[in-house]
Amino acid sequence: MPEVTMVQALNEALRFAMGEDDRVLVLGEDVGKLGGVFRITDRIQAEFGEARVFDTPLAESAIAGVSLGLAMAGWRPVAEMQFDAFSYPALDQVISHVAKYRFRSVGAVDVPVVIRIPCGGGIGAAEHHSESPEAYYVHTSGLKVAIPSTPLDAFNLLVRSIRDPDPVIFLEPKSRYWSKESGELSPDGLPFGRARTVREGSHATLVAWGGMVARCLQAANAAAEDGVEVEVLDLRTLVPLDIEGLANAARKTGRIVVVHEAPMTAGFGAEVVARIVEDAFEYLEAPVLRVTGYDIPYPPAKVEEHYLPSVDRILIALEKVLSF
Amino acid sequence: MAERVFNLPDLGEGLGEAEIVGWKVAEGDEVELNQPLVEVNTAKAVVEIPSPFAGKIVTLHGAAGDVVEVGRPLVTIDVEAAVGEVGPPGVISPAEAASDGVQAAAERTEARAEEAAERPKREAVLVGYGVDAEEGRPSRRPRLQAPGTGRVGPRAAGAGRVGASPVVRRLARELGVDLADVEGSGPGGRVTREDIERAAQEGLGTAAGAEETSPSRPSGAEERIPVRGIRRLVAQKMTRAWAEVPMVTTFRGVDATHVDALRAELSQDAGKKISPLAIVVRALVEVCGDHPKLNSWFDAEAHEIVLMRSCHVGIATDTERGLMVPVVRDAGEKGVLTLADEIAELVSTARAGRATPDQLSGSTITVTNVGSFGSQYGTPIVNFPEAAILALGVVEPRALVVEGQIEARHAVTLSLTFDHRVLDGAEAGRAMTALQELLESPFRLGALPRR
Amino acid sequence: MIRTKPDDALQILAPDGTVVDPQARQALDLGDEDLRAMYRAMLVTRAVDLEATALQRQGELAVYPPVLGQEAAQIGSAYALGEEDFVFPSYREVGVAVVRGIDLVEYMHFHRGTRHGGIADPLGSHFAEISVPVSSQVLHAVGWALGARLDGKNACAVVYFGDGATSQGDFHEGCNFAGVLRCPVVFFCQNNQWAISVPVQKQTAAPIWKKAEAYGFPGVRVDGNDVLAVYKVSREAVARAREERVPTLIEAVTYRMGPHSTADDASRYRSREDVDSWQAFDPLERFRRLLESEGLLDPGFLNRAEADAGAEAAKVRAGIQGAQPRPLEGFFDHTFSEMPDFLARQREEVVRLTTEEGEGA
Repeated sequence: MPEVTMVQALNEALRFAMGEDDRVLVLGEDVGKLGGVFRITDRIQAEFGEARVFDTPLAESAIAGVSLGLAMAGWRPVAEMQFDAFSYPALDQVISHVAKYRFRSVGAVDVPVVIRIPCGGGIGAAEHHSESPEAYYVHTSGLKVAIPSTPLDAFNLLVRSIRDPDPVIFLEPKSRYWSKESGELSPDGLPFGRARTVREGSHATLVAWGGMVARCLQAANAAAEDGVEVEVLDLRTLVPLDIEGLANAARKTGRIVVVHEAPMTAGFGAEVVARIVEDAFEYLEAPVLRVTGYDIPYPPAKVEEHYLPSVDRILIALEKVLSF
Repeated sequence: MAERVFNLPDLGEGLGEAEIVGWKVAEGDEVELNQPLVEVNTAKAVVEIPSPFAGKIVTLHGAAGDVVEVGRPLVTIDVEAAVGEVGPPGVISPAEAASDGVQAAAERTEARAEEAAERPKREAVLVGYGVDAEEGRPSRRPRLQAPGTGRVGPRAAGAGRVGASPVVRRLARELGVDLADVEGSGPGGRVTREDIERAAQEGLGTAAGAEETSPSRPSGAEERIPVRGIRRLVAQKMTRAWAEVPMVTTFRGVDATHVDALRAELSQDAGKKISPLAIVVRALVEVCGDHPKLNSWFDAEAHEIVLMRSCHVGIATDTERGLMVPVVRDAGEKGVLTLADEIAELVSTARAGRATPDQLSGSTITVTNVGSFGSQYGTPIVNFPEAAILALGVVEPRALVVEGQIEARHAVTLSLTFDHRVLDGAEAGRAMTALQELLESPFRLGALPRR
Repeated sequence: MIRTKPDDALQILAPDGTVVDPQARQALDLGDEDLRAMYRAMLVTRAVDLEATALQRQGELAVYPPVLGQEAAQIGSAYALGEEDFVFPSYREVGVAVVRGIDLVEYMHFHRGTRHGGIADPLGSHFAEISVPVSSQVLHAVGWALGARLDGKNACAVVYFGDGATSQGDFHEGCNFAGVLRCPVVFFCQNNQWAISVPVQKQTAAPIWKKAEAYGFPGVRVDGNDVLAVYKVSREAVARAREERVPTLIEAVTYRMGPHSTADDASRYRSREDVDSWQAFDPLERFRRLLESEGLLDPGFLNRAEADAGAEAAKVRAGIQGAQPRPLEGFFDHTFSEMPDFLARQREEVVRLTTEEGEGA
């Protein structure tokens, strides 16, 4: 089996999608000759031409708004936001138009726009390059939000996102870009809205997405040394959310910890907790805890390891729910 | 005269009222569509309001300087001369109605508008709702009960609140263990799963926890039927009634000759079959007047018997989903025929699975017609926490001794199960005598209200 | 101080209806029937606009932004478009909608608050949904134009916005993007002097039309109350977009005679005199005089056109009066292409709470 990195898998996914549908376009800052600052679009312009893969002026709102216009003209644009915090200038277009156009047109207009956003920290990046903006998008009705944690699922989810008739915010955990996985790249993996049990366990469940899935696996392995079997659930898509999968996890172990990089307050973890409490309350053995980034702006890179959820912090939370 | 009332609309995104600056028309004037009627001052601007109808001004509702609330009448116009030019408001054009869902919405909106019209407050406006905190209350709200005050709710919360995780609370509920009776061994005195299991074993539980601990379960091939939904609720309620209520049953044979005659007469009058159930329910309500403890419940926490002023009669109903008890409200205010209609309606609604929570709660006494499936009599379990339930056996010809002779007569056996904490045997017996006398008296039966 | 012509603006008709640029007048590719159709569209626009304002006062519309005074800018530009061209309106474009044959009842549903968007079939009618966030639609037009260019279509996008919109980032981003990527788009700015209460002088320190130079394409100022001049510059801009893939920024100088919207009180920030002084520049009167002088306004046509205008207004009234929204649950159906479970759950609640089945006893 070939081994691929997430960067390669995403690159292959773009090539696959452009190959199967000639209406697919790739646009963004530096996506052409350079192949994107993370090389996700490496050599794609050379393969598919400058008409279908093009650099835009440095203007994120324009990238989002123009993508909507392209969709109205019958194209399927895949737009790249260079970094997480650089997606914020585009929020107005995304929230006010991209997310709402189908709704406002009573279903007359499909909006097959994919906006790819590298996200998360853990790579020693500059300020404004390590944000986890998922809650902003999840809170906007009309957007789907996908966030893979492994190369193979990154391929599967990106191809599915591009095929989707709805706008998809595709978050790419930078800390996993160079992680490797063996297996066939295929778009026939799990669909949107289905969580994936990455590791089975009976004593407690860790719920995570994107970059924190790997961190949770590390914590689960450490717990196993103490004889505690921890299940790890990768949500994969935050919208649609696998509500049933969450409730099942709660029913199975009754002890849940949610882990994410974004700050705690009103982070997506709060939504996960609420869904579990609503749907599986009477199966809970302990309060559902969150291990998250702190409620401060993302700190300078040299201290981010203390900011991001660590194996130790996850184990401390596990200990709390196990001993409750 | 075809008068149309023009209510003050919301003129500027959420305004609640406007002051009349000056009228540009007078009563009796003829006006054209869109002719300026009045200048009003809102919180945002002075605006001129054009007439929505052509016609003759009948009434100006207010003078310069008056403040008019949004949605209140501003002007009444006789539109007779102009009928046809203007479609009636609230009606959708055919093209609109054709588009999906619009008709249904319109009907609903109209229904709501009618509902709103019944309220004296203020009339609905089409666009702009103004600011009115009192409206916008949900119209389909369930009745709420504070925890502990409910008749079937959980025990009162208070200073002695016990800590326990949700899953432990569920276990306690299932085993009938009251958390307050359990010493918690967990951190901070929290009750744990083990605590509950121990308590159940020690006999603190009231429910079928025995099943869990019983050493002698039946063995062999088995089929397991999950108990869910209504059946599960019924099971819990029955278990609770059985465990908490010291109840006894008393029986009374009744000569049903006159009940049957009345039933036949009513059936003929109504042109449909009237069941004896309605007659018995009506008679029972009469008896409750003189024997109010029949229509009461035992508040174990307050150590009080709670006499209920209204008589809402639950009708135990066998449905595919399990036992349901739809409720005839204020049965004392209804005649036999009304009761018969209502019972029939409630039963079929419940059987169709369309009964609302409202229709299925709030009874103060319950009647079960065990005769409907042929039984002579029953020993029903009270509909917890009500004090009494009356079972009505089959009405059939039996050999009765009448004035010393054996005679074939219509007869029925009534059973009354009652909470012995509320009533004692003598009181219950007296109530049954009263009920029997009523049912056997053609004169008193005939005097029962029909409608 | 109003002069007879805004500085640097192209004008064909003087405010009194006389032709000041006979050469340009002669060069127009407009026949008698076109001129009459344009005048009729202006009459319809004015009648529908006044009716909509009245309907708001009568509680039938929630809020309405009158277009009064801007009819020439809208009809002149819209008349220059071909069927394949795509209009991206802001929220004050009822005149453009009239020319494009948009269902005006559906359009007014937007202002009644019975549906969003206001346009039933944007892709079929080539008229995008009404856009309220100021200047945001500029980018959609650029994107559509880029898409049309990639498809090799002989079509352009025309985006409408106001003077206030030129302060927004999306306007600059859109112009810049279109200049760089050679998008066939016409940026049509109706400088109506007011962004709600703020005059254009406080919006920009430079004339709007001159901004085009920085984006690398032509900018032009036109007398926005002169329907023929507006038509001429629009026609040229459309041709430039389609044929050369070069955008144009048009600044049509006009005046918003009414309030920003029916919820506005313009007397708080501008004088009656200021407004009145613009009465002399009324675009309908100016055009009427020209048609009269050219002998195109026979009573038969005039009666018909006025009757048409009244009928359109009455149609809007009849269609919108008492019109009901779709039931709320219907809106769940179009949030996504397919209903996700979490929405289906919420939709069920709405159905339960709003339909008979859920009606409590």
